[in-house]
This record gives sequence, C-alpha cells and structure tokens, in this order.
Amino acid sequence: MNIQYKKGVLELCVLAMLYREDCYGYVISESISRKIDISDGTVYPILRKLKSDGLVTTYLSEESGGPPRKYYKLTELGRQAYFKEKGEWLGFIRTVEKMLEDNNNEES
Amino acid sequence: MKRAEFIERLSKKLKEFDVADLDEIISEYEEHFVCKLADGYSEEEIAARLGAPEALALQFAEEAREKGPKGAKALAIAGLAFMDIFAGCFFALLYAFSAALAAFAAASAAAGICLLCGFNPYSLLPPMPYWCGAIMALSVMALAVLAGTGLVYYLLFVRQLVKAYGRCRRNLLASASGKAPLPPAASHPRLGARLGRRLRSIALISLTVFAVCFAAGFAACAVSAGALGFWHAWRWFVQ
Repeated sequence: MNIQYKKGVLELCVLAMLYREDCYGYVISESISRKIDISDGTVYPILRKLKSDGLVTTYLSEESGGPPRKYYKLTELGRQAYFKEKGEWLGFIRTVEKMLEDNNNEES
Repeated sequence: MKRAEFIERLSKKLKEFDVADLDEIISEYEEHFVCKLADGYSEEEIAARLGAPEALALQFAEEAREKGPKGAKALAIAGLAFMDIFAGCFFALLYAFSAALAAFAAASAAAGICLLCGFNPYSLLPPMPYWCGAIMALSVMALAVLAGTGLVYYLLFVRQLVKAYGRCRRNLLASASGKAPLPPAASHPRLGARLGRRLRSIALISLTVFAVCFAAGFAACAVSAGALGFWHAWRWFVQ
C-alpha cells in the first residue's frame, strides 16, 4: 500500500483506539503492529504528531507497583477529528467497494 | 543491535535533524523496551521489530517540518477571509438568480393553466379567443418545463462551483500549513449518464414544443384577428 496513504489511515487507527479508552504508547504500538504490517516503532512518530496537532494529550499514571506510564487521551478536538476522518474513510471505502463490485459483475 | 545501541543511534539522528523534545521521544522508546522485555523478547528482537532508528528519526523530523512556519498559515487565513467576502457575494447573487428562474417557471405554468381553464384572474391575461389561448397555453407550459429543467441544471452547476471553490480554499490552507493538497474539484456538475441524458431530452422536447406551439398560436391569433399584429386588433396595450 502507498506509504503516504497508510500514514493517514494509521492516524485514524490510533484515534479509534484512543476513542475507546486511554492507552499508553506501548499498547497502541502493540495492537496496531499486530494487525497491520508496520514496524513497531512507527506508531510513536504518529502519536507525537497527533499530540502536536492538539488531537491528544498525555498524562502520567502510576500502575500498581510499576513505574508511572505516559497515557494518551483524546482531546475534544481529537474526538471531532476522529468522527470526521471516520466518516471520510467509510465513504471512501464504500466508493472503492462499489467500483470493485461493478467490476466483479462485469467479469462474471 | 542492543537496546543501548538503538537508543544511541536514534538520539544521534534526532539531534542531527534538530527535533524538539528529544528526551520525551527517547523515554517513549525506553518504555517500549521495558514492556517488551517483560513480555519475554530479547533486546535484539525488540530493536529489529522497532525498525531502523534512522528511519524513525526521519519520521519525527518530517512530522516537525510539515508544521512549517506559523505566519504563513495566519496570512493564508486572512487572505482567504477577504476572498470569502467577494466569493460569498458572488454566490449569493448566483443563488438569487435561481429564485428569479424559479419564479419565471412558476409564472409560466400558472399562465398556461389559467389560459387552458379559461380563467382570467384580475384580467391579468390579455383577451383572446379560447382556442388561440389554448395553443399559447401549451407553449407557455412547455416554457415552464424548460425553465424548470434549466433551474435544476443551474442549481447543480452553482453547487459544483461552490464545491470547487471550497476545495480550492482547502488546498490553499493545506499548502500554507504543509499538508498534502487534494486534486481540484471539477467546475461543472457531473450528473451521471442517465440523469444527464434525461435532462437534455426534457430540455430539447420542451424547447421544441414551446417553439412549435408559439408559432402555431401566433398564426392562430393572426388568422382569427385578421391581422398580423393581432395585439393591435384586440387592443391589448390600450388602457
């Protein structure tokens, strides 16, 4: 897949995860790189970009016994961006699906 | 590659690219190592799966560069706000014309119906024999359909124009803030083959009916009045 393209989609994936619950970086990196074929380190630059765009904020939270971890949390701007990008993405794949289906109908 | 080497190469490259908040980035990767070690991976495995530190540093640098200077964006917004005033007036004018077109279509249709029913409210319609009026009624009703079709196309056209303007506006903003531009929108409406064909044939048929009925109505009026300028014979424009 086109790398530039994938980057935008990865942003949406990160937003989707954070919409469900606050996570720390490692969890996001793990669950995304398990499903999508990218190197584990790629998620961190994306998180950083989202933070500098004001879509997410971070806070430190101590877990039982362990060291404090940096959690990522969606801001209100981030929630809006998530809904907007989700809608755009769903509309886009619907169009692509429709084109592919049309092809299938012609081929068969 | 061990953890220490990975971190060192990463921080060296980040410094080279002059990326801000170096410590924060490094601590994020340190944490990644800690978590992954706890899951039972070796340091080499973890480093390999993270990807080349140079490539990661480049990603951070690119993200920082994309932001660009802040002044450019503010300037673009100010310019766009100015442009919006003019564009807004222009579009308001275009939409206002659609109201005029709609009124014309409605008036034509109403005149046609009144002529057909022999109903003349407030003596607005000029007097003429019923059969001449009936032919004229067909022609003005065809004119109403033509105007209606024109209205539909016109509204789609203006909407597309607004869309194209919006896209152009968005791209100007995107280029000022270093984001990727979208391809420009088409400046004419894309109706789809079927709707386009339908609109075209409705327009053509109504135009033909209008022309034929108008000519026929004119001829009928001229014959029944016994003069080419039948409006003089029937004293239409005399109070």
